[in-house]
Amino acid sequence: MSRRGLRLLPVAALLAVTGLAAGCGHSASPTSRASSQPSELTDHTSSVYQGVGETPPLPRPQFSLTDQNGAAYNFGQQTRGKPTLLYFGYTHCPDVCPTTLADISQALAAVPAKVRQATQVVFVTTDVKRDTPGVLKAYLAQFDTGLPNRFIGLTGSQAQVDAAQVAAHVALAEDGGQTHSASVLLYGSDNYARVSYLQSTGEAGQIAHDLPLIAG
Amino acid sequence: MSRPPLAYLAASVVMLAGLAGLIRGAVPQSAAAPSPSSSSGGGIVVGGAYVRQPANGINAAAYFTVYNTSGQADQLQSVQAGAGAQTMLHQDEPNGTMKALPAGVTVPAHGKVVLTPGKLHVMIEQLYGPLKPGQSVNLELSFAHAGTVLVVAPVIAILAPAPTGAAAPTPSATVSK
Repeated sequence: MSRRGLRLLPVAALLAVTGLAAGCGHSASPTSRASSQPSELTDHTSSVYQGVGETPPLPRPQFSLTDQNGAAYNFGQQTRGKPTLLYFGYTHCPDVCPTTLADISQALAAVPAKVRQATQVVFVTTDVKRDTPGVLKAYLAQFDTGLPNRFIGLTGSQAQVDAAQVAAHVALAEDGGQTHSASVLLYGSDNYARVSYLQSTGEAGQIAHDLPLIAG
Repeated sequence: MSRPPLAYLAASVVMLAGLAGLIRGAVPQSAAAPSPSSSSGGGIVVGGAYVRQPANGINAAAYFTVYNTSGQADQLQSVQAGAGAQTMLHQDEPNGTMKALPAGVTVPAHGKVVLTPGKLHVMIEQLYGPLKPGQSVNLELSFAHAGTVLVVAPVIAILAPAPTGAAAPTPSATVSK
């Protein structure tokens, strides 16, 4: 995953879809000074989605782990047919993980209630040593406040979590989980992911834009 | 994107408040003082600072934008935080790796460096205590040429939108209580 998502002004950019064109030409920096580098953005600017297009689409993976209550969780079966945001991370992560989970929460708060009620968020830890079900439960409860569906937190043996990453076609985490895929995968009700997201200031707006499109 | 105004008066308030906090050793200081959006020194202006309330209670990340208004490149060499014992500048790689930047980052002449999630952050470890919205974290930025610049970073709520750092609303405006 090297392509970065569109960088937009924050959630407000949702209201100004035309502003998208202005945001597209730049990389991280909103100003184009002499030092600005060529944009990493490519073909997906023409896509209906604001996230990073997945071509070919990725099928909803099958894997079984343990949820934040200690119960068995079969991802493929239990999320089948539901719009699902799947993210791999770890609770000791200071930066991208909490910001991404906050972005997801903001996006869910912004979409129509029907979409919000249908959508499931699943966080799989890449740090199986420290992220026990109890740790995941306390952590995720701070991000799903006010939402109809609790975020699901999954852990398991290292082999199980590795298998889940392989099944989801994301880069295998290394360094005790601290080097992990930064990608949030969005599976539609047709059980394919056609779009994913990378951390950026526009991430919440991108997810809020795309979720209703794939929830149908 | 216009350059932020040099709020000298506000900045001096911050510097005093910041010093007080650092000398106390510490702890996130209450943001009873006005929370200014920028502080400055030696041609360096820092704006848009914030720290997201940590959901893990273990570590936190500070973000801000450094503007260099001088004609000479400068180097942000290190950062100290009043909220934790250990601080390190980190760069995020697209694959999720965090790379420590022990030499710091260069701020080009008449340029800027934006610390933002997924790009650059200051990781604060060994927190002295919980960080909550309404509090602030004092940061001491050390530059090769500009010397020390003190910055007050308001703590934003776990679910608050991330200020963009540059053209963003000031962090204090996004704190939800």
